[in-house]
Amino acid sequence: MAINRFLFASVFVCCLVATCDGIVSFNSLKPTLTVTATHKGGVLKAGVDNVTVTWMLDPSVPAGTDSSYKTIKVKLCYAPVSQVDRGWRKTKDDLSKDKTCSHKIVAKPYVAGGAVATATWTVQRDVPTAKYFVRAYAHDAADMEVAYGQTTSADKKTNLFDIEAVTGRHVSLDIASVCFSAFSVVSLFGFFFLERRKTKIAEAK
Amino acid sequence: MENVPAYSATEESGRKKFALPVDSEHKATEFRLFSVAAPHMRAFHLSWISFFACFVSTFAAPPLLPIIRDDLDLTATEIGNAGIAAVSGAVFARVAMGSACDLFGPRLASAALTLLTAPAVYCSSIASGPTTFLLVRFFTGFSLATFVSTQFWMSSLFSAPVVGTANGVAGGWGNLGGGATQLIMPIGFELILKMGSDKFTAWRIAFFIPGLFQMLCAYGIFFLGQDLPDGNYAQLHKSGDKHKDKFSKVLYHAVTNYRGWILALTYGYCFGVELAIDNIIAQYFYDRFNVSLHTAGIIAASFGLANFFSRPGGGMLSDIVARRYGMRGRLWALWSVQTLGGIFCIILGKVGTLGVSVAVMLIFSVFVQAACGLTFGVVPFVSRRSLGIISGMTGAGGNVGAVITQVIFFRGSRYTTEKGIMLMGVMIIACTSVITLIHFPQWGGMFTKPSKGKTEEDYYLSEWSEAEKEKGFHKASLKFSENSRHEGGRRVGITESPDTHK
Repeated sequence: MAINRFLFASVFVCCLVATCDGIVSFNSLKPTLTVTATHKGGVLKAGVDNVTVTWMLDPSVPAGTDSSYKTIKVKLCYAPVSQVDRGWRKTKDDLSKDKTCSHKIVAKPYVAGGAVATATWTVQRDVPTAKYFVRAYAHDAADMEVAYGQTTSADKKTNLFDIEAVTGRHVSLDIASVCFSAFSVVSLFGFFFLERRKTKIAEAK
Repeated sequence: MENVPAYSATEESGRKKFALPVDSEHKATEFRLFSVAAPHMRAFHLSWISFFACFVSTFAAPPLLPIIRDDLDLTATEIGNAGIAAVSGAVFARVAMGSACDLFGPRLASAALTLLTAPAVYCSSIASGPTTFLLVRFFTGFSLATFVSTQFWMSSLFSAPVVGTANGVAGGWGNLGGGATQLIMPIGFELILKMGSDKFTAWRIAFFIPGLFQMLCAYGIFFLGQDLPDGNYAQLHKSGDKHKDKFSKVLYHAVTNYRGWILALTYGYCFGVELAIDNIIAQYFYDRFNVSLHTAGIIAASFGLANFFSRPGGGMLSDIVARRYGMRGRLWALWSVQTLGGIFCIILGKVGTLGVSVAVMLIFSVFVQAACGLTFGVVPFVSRRSLGIISGMTGAGGNVGAVITQVIFFRGSRYTTEKGIMLMGVMIIACTSVITLIHFPQWGGMFTKPSKGKTEEDYYLSEWSEAEKEKGFHKASLKFSENSRHEGGRRVGITESPDTHK
């Protein structure tokens, strides 16, 4: 009990230290949530397929750990392999600058009591092609992150899934591009023809 | 302006009437910004607007990159390569454009290029991955060669006292497109998004804006423009008023003129630097000072938008110093302004606070863009016969400078961006120093006096052989020599008539 209290107190102090200038450090957060994501097998299609996310407080954490949790925000996060050579997806310890989890899945108020919460999300149409995992952050009343849980291991190498983006191309757009391009080139030949005719007329005079 | 013979509008048997005062070649001796009178001011407005459109197209992708890179799954290296491709296409295209202007006239040459690159802009809408993205940026970049036709056209229609101003305003207002696009494309994208599109479709539709703009400009140039004060090339060729020159001769006289090569190098360190900054500055402010992407975009746009007054200012400065000091004044002004640009570039790489950095960047932009305007105050005088190719070489040199600078300083992680900017400033100062080597026999150079007994006719007619002179092909150069006499400075008046020379 004393140890639990001590652990709790030191975690609390560490969080205070980290938040005293408004910076929340990811390394200071504890993985107290158990998060799972289920979906159809293979590559998920953006705009079409669903991901069902569940989260709950890890039963093995000491009681009272979740006293500050007010909201749970579940996000779609890039796996390290999809961050290579892409500085705009970089992982940074300072959560206000961290770009790992750029896509919001759902935000729900936290319900204490150890129940399992669920949400089903259709992959949004602006999600790019990449490998992902799911992470949930617990926010306190000041909307600062205080804990998290994720579907993958600490090194983010296991249990990843692929999403394929919509292409944004449409047949009508393809046709319009080709038509306008052809019209440009044909106009040019029209210009040359007109120019030729003008000089021939001037010559004939 | 009192040194230049001004012919009234109704001289020469009342055959030709011009709205502006003209010289013996019928080039305008005044630059009236708010006029659209044919052919001079109308050609000015047509050419700067179409050059603006080409700049908008070439730099249409950067402001939308946060969306495009997710749609096409691009890495930072692929984005960097596409950015380099966008400015490297124009290296060859600018030289080719110079030749095309010499041979076919700027009206047909620029309308043709603008129409031929419009498909690349339209096809940006159907890009599907990094390779196709690089290809459309590469081919769209060819359209920046319209810079050469703009400068050539202004040099053909405006007389020496105002040619620097005309070139500077046309070039500067065209370059504005690089800044304006950072505002136009995101606004277009937002509007299309509001009309119900997906993000990944909206950016594609947005590319039709620059594509259509380019096409309309080409139509305007073809139907409303005119190559020379007296008519178009094709008509003048047929009527014998303009001799149709041989490409091999034009090329020979361009590449054997060392001044063209020097200006190509120095232009790489004003305009080339400007293009490199257009590609990297938003990221620099975003990463180093942690501003939002939106704010970084506005800062990036303001760099390009300074062109509204800074490049024309350079051209006007060139004309103003030439009135008193002639060509020597133009060269001194160019060297000092560009060297100062290099100094501010070094300072930019060293400052560490946001406010000071933005201020230094704006000062740097004014000097670097003014240097571009000053360069094209000198270019029209390097050659008369090969004006097009010299303009093209100088313009191409600008793009080569952009490619070299980005490859050495802004690619990979050898240098931090701030170190790259500082080193780029050092390179600007070093490369600008070669301007001291330029010497015009009839006018002198920065440190050299004019060679004794050498005249403008000696210089410009040396481009024609005796056989060609006998056939009378050199007449335009003769007129040009006479009209450029005041480049010797205030002491020289038009008291000497052409008969005293051979």
